[in-house]
Amino acid sequence: MPARHSGLQKEVLALYRRALRMVRTKPPSSRDKFRLFVRYSFKTQASSVSPRSVSTVEHLIRRGQRQVETYENSAVRDCWVSQEMRDWEAQERGGIRP
Amino acid sequence: MSTMLSILARSSPRHLPPPTVILRSFSSSAATQQAVPTESKALNKEFKIYRWNPDEPQKSPELQSYTINLNDCGPMILDALIKIKNEVDPTLTFRRSCREGICGSCAMNIDGQNTLACLCRIDRSENKDTKIYPLPHMYVVKDLVPDLTLFYKQYKSIEPYLQNDNPPAHGEFLQSPEDRKKLDGLYECILCACCSTSCPSYWWNQDEYLGPATLMQAYRWIADSRDSYEAHRKEKLQNEMSLYRCHTIFNCARTCPKGLNPAAAIAQIKLHLAAD
Repeated sequence: MPARHSGLQKEVLALYRRALRMVRTKPPSSRDKFRLFVRYSFKTQASSVSPRSVSTVEHLIRRGQRQVETYENSAVRDCWVSQEMRDWEAQERGGIRP
Repeated sequence: MSTMLSILARSSPRHLPPPTVILRSFSSSAATQQAVPTESKALNKEFKIYRWNPDEPQKSPELQSYTINLNDCGPMILDALIKIKNEVDPTLTFRRSCREGICGSCAMNIDGQNTLACLCRIDRSENKDTKIYPLPHMYVVKDLVPDLTLFYKQYKSIEPYLQNDNPPAHGEFLQSPEDRKKLDGLYECILCACCSTSCPSYWWNQDEYLGPATLMQAYRWIADSRDSYEAHRKEKLQNEMSLYRCHTIFNCARTCPKGLNPAAAIAQIKLHLAAD
């Protein structure tokens, strides 16, 4: 049975999908960096709030939308990835493949 | 003085007495020195200011209280805000620029009225606090700073610039004094968003209704005799939502800190559209 999502959850997922699709419009050389940036910012921020604090989630969605809007601009071709993000990625991979 | 000292030093090089400085004063100075400055009583006033920090989105917004001595503070709300930011709490956030009602940056809700903090006098009664909120029904960026992105997008959507396909062969567009008079009371708008955010119709239909500030600017370009896109501009407003959500509530005219009347401009647009 497919998961039933609330309206708010759907909005969150739509934002994540939009961000991931934004990555595909970027030049191949910087796509990995964009993908890591999107995943890191989404996952860390999503796990930082309780799903019940609706106004907080709404605020984060609005902020995310503004951010994605900026990144969707075709003039943005590269982004910066911090060591923190790389560490997080390594940890994630470690969790999946022990 | 230094030359005199050096002359003195040359004339008596060994045993120089400690230099005594004699201050000469005006005849009126003595009285001034004796006078004790009158200690004016501190006039403590409480300000309750809306605080919300986006870095801690879990914390709900709250009113924070500040008490200021009005006797060493300027007369306007903005002076008090700047004083609080400088001396009490540097984390208080608000927009301000010209401090004379020209830029429209410091629009906020003061004691229930949307107005510019720089044009709003502090109520000097000690036992009543003053409450300051950001503009109502706007998303808050931080503390007193509202998110005006949509407002500016709407302003952009009415193409607020001169459009004319037949510019004069040489020189500038000419305009008769009567035609120029039509723009009075329209061009003075500083886009502070006080009127739009006081309009209940705008609160409920922000996404589609343009709001009084934007509509007044739309009329400013419709009324301009030099602009030849009048039909095009009117065509864009000819729908259910953009213009006709105005129900002549007149909150806009009442709140405008520049004393303009957006409701009258909207009525004029309605008249123009009805006459089509």
